[in-house]
Amino acid sequence: MTRVKDDLRAEFAAWLTDFLPNDYYERYREYRWDIQLRRGYQRAAFEAGWLQPTWSREHGGRSLGLAEAMEIRLEAAMRSAPKLPNIAGPGVAAPGIRQFGTAEQIDRLLVPLLRGDEWWALGMSEPEAGSDFAGLRTRAVRDGDVFRINGRKIWTTQAHLSRWCTLYARTDPDAPKHRGISCLILDLESRGVTIEPIRMASISDETFCEVILDDVEVPADNLLGPCNGGWQVAMSSLNHERQMIWIMNWVEIQRGLSSVRESKATRDDYAAGEVFAELGSLLADAEALRATGYRALNNELAGRPSPEANILKLLGSLTLQRVWELAAAAAGPGSIDDADLLFERQDSLAATIYGGTSEIQRNIIAERLLGLPKG
Amino acid sequence: MDVGLNSGQLALRDSVRDVLRTECPPAIARQAITDPERWRPVWKTVVDLGWTELAVPSADSSFGRVDLAVVLEECGAAIAPIPLLSSVGLAAGVLRVAGAAVDDVLGEIGGGAVAALAVHPSDHRLPGVPMTLEHGRVQGRAVAVPGLPRAELIVTLAASADGPVAAVVRVGDGVTARDAECTDPAQPVADVEIDAEPVAIAPVDLESALATPLVAAAADLVGVAGAALARSVEYAKSRQQFGKPIGAFQGIKHALADNYVALERARGLTYAAAARLDDPATPSVAGWNAAALAKAAAAEAAVGCARTAVQVHGALAQTWEHDMHLYLRHAWQGASTLGDSRALYYAVGRRFAGGAA
Repeated sequence: MTRVKDDLRAEFAAWLTDFLPNDYYERYREYRWDIQLRRGYQRAAFEAGWLQPTWSREHGGRSLGLAEAMEIRLEAAMRSAPKLPNIAGPGVAAPGIRQFGTAEQIDRLLVPLLRGDEWWALGMSEPEAGSDFAGLRTRAVRDGDVFRINGRKIWTTQAHLSRWCTLYARTDPDAPKHRGISCLILDLESRGVTIEPIRMASISDETFCEVILDDVEVPADNLLGPCNGGWQVAMSSLNHERQMIWIMNWVEIQRGLSSVRESKATRDDYAAGEVFAELGSLLADAEALRATGYRALNNELAGRPSPEANILKLLGSLTLQRVWELAAAAAGPGSIDDADLLFERQDSLAATIYGGTSEIQRNIIAERLLGLPKG
Repeated sequence: MDVGLNSGQLALRDSVRDVLRTECPPAIARQAITDPERWRPVWKTVVDLGWTELAVPSADSSFGRVDLAVVLEECGAAIAPIPLLSSVGLAAGVLRVAGAAVDDVLGEIGGGAVAALAVHPSDHRLPGVPMTLEHGRVQGRAVAVPGLPRAELIVTLAASADGPVAAVVRVGDGVTARDAECTDPAQPVADVEIDAEPVAIAPVDLESALATPLVAAAADLVGVAGAALARSVEYAKSRQQFGKPIGAFQGIKHALADNYVALERARGLTYAAAARLDDPATPSVAGWNAAALAKAAAAEAAVGCARTAVQVHGALAQTWEHDMHLYLRHAWQGASTLGDSRALYYAVGRRFAGGAA
């Protein structure tokens, strides 16, 4: 088993080396913004079967087991492989389509998504529905062969660059709020869709948009999952993402730790002792993420419950923020004119918000794992 | 690398837990504070059940450090006032890497003889080499030796002309213990002065020697953390204020969720470190680092969970009759043994910055 894993990881590593430009690591700070390189990476990974390792060959995989897939993802993470340019597609929309889609939907949508030819946005948040996702107000009313949609979505990442959107809308206003939501596959080129990008506080290629839906018609065939079953589609799609977020956090934490190591923080006038102690604590966090991720996977493979998986998002996102704050402290006043560091600090602030805020994560741990009553 | 428990280890955990539930409820720890002999009947049960045999690394590796961690975690959760950690985890933990010269001593400990580990030089936050070995005699002074008042053997580290050695001395002539009133009298510690001929010595690598004791101490503290959190949760579900259980308020709920994160963080590090130490391919520096981070995290979790538990229980937790001070005493004392969390984090962080981690 270990041999097989090592061989696969080596094969992937060799493929990655072959794909990356020779000066990738020297010029990582530029390449990380290179959308052409990142698009090329997604496509090549799809074709080589490394994009979704557990899926079949036609869907960008090699039908690997979860444990082998984890090895591939960790190798990609440790090597700072290019970030997928539209993570919402392969990371969230694709698992949802694969799990809930009809044969026609899968046939039409999945390959262009996985190749990166068509980008996807997640139509979840609304001005009045953030953490309280189930309180969303966008309406979808059945009208013959179509749903007629009116409402407003916000913080919809990359909608202005996307062709499709998994749109969550209320289809039964009389049902309890979790049970009256459906997921519709919305063609963003449809009439009545207005997309307004929102200027971001920091440099970013994950621009938020506002999506205004004015009497938009969506064919009834574009329902993803059962009518009024949108809550399950959302939870299941996000759960798939949640299993992978820790690896993303982990690699960024590693980069932050290296940045501290390479800084002047070891000199006495930078209060080195204080930096060392925080560094040790962060090394523990990083190793705990890895160990807990593996432990959860092993429990899952053995068919046992894996409650510890629920700490990964909360711990990973908080650690990521702490590591960049330490990097800033370690750089002293040198942090002020360091644009890369500014980006890292701003970017890390999103981690405790997206995919369920830290407050929601704590509620989940307290209510579902510890069994405390709802407030 | 496998960093979870396999089904055999889960079964071991459950059987240890069952025994302790009936044989060693928290009230025994309270009694042990005032009755210095209260630990003996519990210890007899534990020895009869063969738990002390975990001291001896078996040839077929059927009992490794992960198994040791599993058992010590349960004993920590039960705040069992027995010297299993100090003897089998700490003292035998050093001897595990000391080779054939200490086999007889390990056998004795495995059979139930109580040993204690003396590795704290005075005025140091991290464990080290408190003794010297010259002209065939072990000499020196160590502080805060866990379990010493109950021990018949002392394991220590000594500097010799040929480098560091693990040395074993028998409690008796040339061994002067100075008992102290300690934070957790259910687990008494004492300072010791030694000028005696050792019954066994063996050269050791310091990092390898201290790694297993660090993981063992971590496992014990993970147990304390888990038990304290369980008590908080139980109370938060039942105690009503403002017309609902206090666990329905986010102030309590989020504090306990953070406790859970600290607990699982420490548990993951502890099992992973134990598994790494059982892997002969792990370099000694990496093993020590993993063990040190596990101990640091476990102490944070134990003290954090126990302190939160006091807060959640309110005034009740400040009374002798309530169990919570027992968990807190155990956590505080364990946190200062073999290096406090900040000192351990500092040591690992400094190495990382120097490129050695």
